[in-house]
Amino acid sequence: MLLNEQSNDAFNYLYDNYSGAIYTIINQIVPDKDTASDVMQEVFVNIWRKINTYDAGKGRLFTWMLNIARNASIDKVRSKGYRDNQKNQPMTENESSGMAMSTNPMVNDVGLKKVLTTLNEEHRKLIDLSYFQGFTHEEIAKMMGIPLGTVKTRIRTAITQLRKMIG
Amino acid sequence: MNIKEYISSGVVESYVLGLLTAQERFEFEQYCEAYPELKEARTAFELALEKQAMENSLAPPADLKQKIASKIFDENKAAPVIPIQSAPSRKFNWTRFVAAASIVLLAGSIWWNMKLRNENGKLKDDNLAIQNDLKISQDSIAQIISMANHIQKKGMKMVPLNGTANSPKSFATVYWDTTSHDVYLLVNNLPTPASDEQYQLWALLKTNDQMQTIDLGMLQLSQKPLQVYKMTNAQSAQAFAITLEKKDGNTEPNLQKIYVMSNL
Repeated sequence: MLLNEQSNDAFNYLYDNYSGAIYTIINQIVPDKDTASDVMQEVFVNIWRKINTYDAGKGRLFTWMLNIARNASIDKVRSKGYRDNQKNQPMTENESSGMAMSTNPMVNDVGLKKVLTTLNEEHRKLIDLSYFQGFTHEEIAKMMGIPLGTVKTRIRTAITQLRKMIG
Repeated sequence: MNIKEYISSGVVESYVLGLLTAQERFEFEQYCEAYPELKEARTAFELALEKQAMENSLAPPADLKQKIASKIFDENKAAPVIPIQSAPSRKFNWTRFVAAASIVLLAGSIWWNMKLRNENGKLKDDNLAIQNDLKISQDSIAQIISMANHIQKKGMKMVPLNGTANSPKSFATVYWDTTSHDVYLLVNNLPTPASDEQYQLWALLKTNDQMQTIDLGMLQLSQKPLQVYKMTNAQSAQAFAITLEKKDGNTEPNLQKIYVMSNL
């Protein structure tokens, strides 16, 4: 079927161009490689299914795909099954900090996380909590014991710093 | 609003990274429509982010592409199903059950809708056909009433035309208005003529042993049975006859081919 051939071409194009970047963001949120692969499958199937809902007026295709990948990864990390599973894993030295970011050293040398290393500790933590762990500003305010308005301002500042690093 | 301040506030990056609340996101999209420079700033950050992400990326496991492709394309062949996820828990998952059930219900409702729509369309067509039939019937009745009014008029003379040896079963009736001299013809039964032939009505007038024939017109090829057609006026006639002539008729009747004829 001709349609199928075209679909195949479209899929090859999407995958060949974007799979690396998409896999990277997934892996930075979901450090476990097997689970990251599962999420990656889920994400590409969803991108494929929802491609007709993509609105070019609201942003670039990559931005849209990146957000699907980020949301799916955060959902996975927060799912009960994933958390139960993690309990059975041996403790890693970073777990005490409550951040998953340093589990795999490689994932910190690529993508957005590479840029994070250039920020100061506080900005890095705010972006990690909000972007990579998906906490709302309210949740972060509670966690860090600072007012919501302050959290908002500091995250905006952190992001403008990040923006300078990306160029 | 100071758009420059807004752009440099970090809202552009927050939007692209998906960190805005629904309300803030909506506002940002509205402003994008109004301020082209905001849209430009958004695209610039998107491009920078994309470049950064592309240049520094991990390679996904090599077998993943084939796995995903078969998931997408094999599923397309089969019936649509809910997204496949690795089951995180063996416990009964109500959310997923409700999601699956609602998809089944949705599919059912779409099917039912389409069925109703098809049935509705068919009923509309049927209704149109019935209206059409009704109109045809009403037209026929109006014609018959008008015919009945004509032939029941005072002074209307009914002349039966009987089949000759050429066609004993044929029969027609001429209604002749003796006042206005209008001639109406009702064909009760005549064989269907060949395509190059046509019936012609004549008035016969006998003067001094001379038979005079007057052309009263052609019978329409599409003539319907049991309907009255107005023919050419006949000032005087002693008899009427129908002959089979070539198409569009002749000036003189072919007396060998008289089909029906009234008594003289």
